[in-house]
Amino acid sequence: MEINVKYFGQFRDFTGKREESLEVADGITVEAIREHVRGIYPKIAAKEQVLVAVNGNFGSLDQVINESDKVAFFPPVSGG
Amino acid sequence: MIKIQHEDIDVETVLESVKSPSSGGVVTFLGTVRDNAKGHNVEQMSIEVYEEMAYKQLEAIESEAQKKFGVHKITVVHRYGDLEVGDNIVFIAVAAGHRGEAFDACRYIIDELKQRVPIWKKETTPEGEIWVEGEKHE
Repeated sequence: MEINVKYFGQFRDFTGKREESLEVADGITVEAIREHVRGIYPKIAAKEQVLVAVNGNFGSLDQVINESDKVAFFPPVSGG
Repeated sequence: MIKIQHEDIDVETVLESVKSPSSGGVVTFLGTVRDNAKGHNVEQMSIEVYEEMAYKQLEAIESEAQKKFGVHKITVVHRYGDLEVGDNIVFIAVAAGHRGEAFDACRYIIDELKQRVPIWKKETTPEGEIWVEGEKHE
């Protein structure tokens, strides 16, 4: 299935993209899609923490992602 | 009330808007752009936000703070875009019956914001641009 993912913060520099479509296996989990993205972008793989949000919430690692979900990748936040 | 905006924060108006006859005090936190960080000079700051998620997280934090501390009214305003040294970044105002719960709620809101609201800062320094590393997310 195709999943639309967004990148924020430093990850936009690392990927050179704001968003893209990824072809992934049906029933993929948060943990597995994070590994998928780490596999594409070595600079993301090198980061200690890669946060994944699903529909605006921090997903648990075993959460299953559906095609219509909004998935985002970013480093630890630094607002305030 | 939660607001994410580029324009400057009207601190006076926010302050007035949280006051009520049953509140005995308002505690505020105003975060501003500092001219230094970790030993280097900061000339400018650029703030990026994942707006849809930031609203969701800030609304959750607002309702947690209301339940946990029993405060009356909360307003959080956070800015994004290009800011100069001394500019306002974030303003939190909490009105409560008594000072104790207002201080506690205000502290809770800024601490949670720094942990889980998807906002990132990039500093412009004499040596180039630096993304600010957030604290490790628990």
